[in-house]
Amino acid sequence: MLHLPSLSSFLHYISTMDTLAKLQILSGAARYDASCASSGSKRDGPYGGTGNTSSSGICHSWADDGRCISLLKILLSNDCIYDCAYCVNRSTNPGERASFTAREVIDLTLDFYRRNYIEGLFLSSAVMQSPDYTMECMVRVAEALRTEEQFGGYIHMKIIPGCSSELVRKAGLYADRVSVNIELPSQASLQRLAPQKHKHAILEPMALIGREITTSLVERKASHRAPRFAPAGQSTQMIIGASPENDFQILRLSQGLYKKMNLKRVYYSAYVPVIEDNRLPVLAAPPLLREHRLYQADWLLRFYGFSAEEILSDDAPHLDESFDPKTAWALRHPEFFPVEINRADYATLLRVPGIGVLSAKRIVAARRFSSITPDGLKKIGVVIKRAKYFITCRGRSFEKSDQPPALIRQRLLLGESSEAPMSILPKQLVLPGLFA
Amino acid sequence: MNCYLYDGTADGLLSSIAWILEEEPDPEQVTLRERMDTLFEEGFTIGTDATLAESLFFRLKQQAPDAAHTLYSFMLAEKEGMETSLLHYVSLAFKHGDKVKGYLTHPAVRDIVNVAKKAGRELHRMKGLLRFEKLQDGAYLAKMAPDYNIIHPLAYHFSRRLRAQHWFLYDVKRRMAARWNNGTLQFGTIEQFTTPALSEDEKKVQALWQVFFKTIAIPDRKNPRLQKSNMPMKYWKYLVEKQGE
Repeated sequence: MLHLPSLSSFLHYISTMDTLAKLQILSGAARYDASCASSGSKRDGPYGGTGNTSSSGICHSWADDGRCISLLKILLSNDCIYDCAYCVNRSTNPGERASFTAREVIDLTLDFYRRNYIEGLFLSSAVMQSPDYTMECMVRVAEALRTEEQFGGYIHMKIIPGCSSELVRKAGLYADRVSVNIELPSQASLQRLAPQKHKHAILEPMALIGREITTSLVERKASHRAPRFAPAGQSTQMIIGASPENDFQILRLSQGLYKKMNLKRVYYSAYVPVIEDNRLPVLAAPPLLREHRLYQADWLLRFYGFSAEEILSDDAPHLDESFDPKTAWALRHPEFFPVEINRADYATLLRVPGIGVLSAKRIVAARRFSSITPDGLKKIGVVIKRAKYFITCRGRSFEKSDQPPALIRQRLLLGESSEAPMSILPKQLVLPGLFA
Repeated sequence: MNCYLYDGTADGLLSSIAWILEEEPDPEQVTLRERMDTLFEEGFTIGTDATLAESLFFRLKQQAPDAAHTLYSFMLAEKEGMETSLLHYVSLAFKHGDKVKGYLTHPAVRDIVNVAKKAGRELHRMKGLLRFEKLQDGAYLAKMAPDYNIIHPLAYHFSRRLRAQHWFLYDVKRRMAARWNNGTLQFGTIEQFTTPALSEDEKKVQALWQVFFKTIAIPDRKNPRLQKSNMPMKYWKYLVEKQGE
């Protein structure tokens, strides 16, 4: 006699799967979300409750891949109805499925928070049944944490594209940060690799969140009792190297997101081949160097006063692999240098390769007391290994002046031992004709 | 150059700085160090006055809140042999206000700011790396062995955060403890420490955290060097996720 386990006993198995097994599946499925920030929000803990947030953010541990752990990063469920080519949770990917109950997520969050393992909860989910259903389940967790458990710690919530704007609003009221993943840098790639997701379903909630944040900030200026809406702002993430867009397209997209949508962060996630699909490129390894360079360029956009058009152009649409984007810019603009440390303003100092925000601030602060000598420059902690080709100090240069950029380029390449480990990282394999 | 001595206590240090700033026309030409009571010790000993020490700190806090914060962090480090630098730093802070932190070309400012930064960094790190264990009676206990004496500001941080909990911090190196219960924070020293029994579910929660810690890392991106530079091995002893490594 053929004996098949009945459906009901299977469902029973799912529901009695213990929390430990679920945690293993649902944190493993969440690890490709890059965001882990717990900063940007300052809230006093509710009296008699648990938890507050710190504006600088706090890292609680560092995982074996070296990335910081500050939030309990999990999916509510990995049981997805969508079939996005790049995603480990796609419906056609065989693999164990699991879903947390709201209670399980709440207990895990509180048990971890009380022991100081975490700064709060990062809740995302695969799409179960429908976007609305999924988002409602997620919002219910956050609502229970805030109202029933008096939880004052950090909550980051993913918005499921396609859910109702009412649910987006609710999520923003309970969460410190909300994010809608843009996933891929262009509509064409989205259509190709994630056919069930649509550009407008991603951009609409982003715009809505942006408006709500602005309104809430205005209202809170008038009254401190006005409700906060996502006080730590919104962020997004895109996958790098799974689709054919060049770095210039990606940077221009990020620039637009920062300027028009007022995003706090754009995260770039090097595509990790988790499943095979003939729509995806074959990579020897994740394009980590490209991801690193994009983050450097992203910093230039946000903190250094650069525009995407200064960093790249249609003629040179890819970031240099051997130089960081600021050094690459400096080598293309010899007319800008040398910069005199004792006279240049803050914005100009920031353009010098090797001088970051901290060093520029230190230089500006120190020269209030006396002019800075070459020795003093080192003493206040400015590393001149790269900067020395681009600066003068009291009119004296560190290197022979008027070196042609080609020579500086060569000497920088030889001298940059700190960057050497990055350059042996495997490059992305490009298969011609794949994206015809 | 005048040389002054003090009794080696924190109050003594601050009150002698206050005294020198009051009495000396040019404090930057003066040295200050701990009295060793050796036979040929030279210098004038300044008496300790706790109210003078306190008033110095409050005056600095009003005139240069940032510099007062640096002074506080510096004191956490319990560094010996830097009294003269501290005297010069405080004198400069009263002269220039908070702008003094930018005066890094001055050796005294640089020394004090660097030490303060190290202590401040460890305090921030411990806010994340401290691990509480639940005890049988429902209270929570966290053990630590930090380089600097950070238990006071650390306990204050957790008093804002874990308000509804009854908890203890214990600095194993210094045998100092902090206790938070029902809205009051107390400090004391413990002569004989015996680890109390853990609550029944404690090991279960720790196992959950260990599983989370392992699975959240992306296997293709393993990077133990980066992990160690962010989370130095000296802190692993009390980390639940690093037990048995």
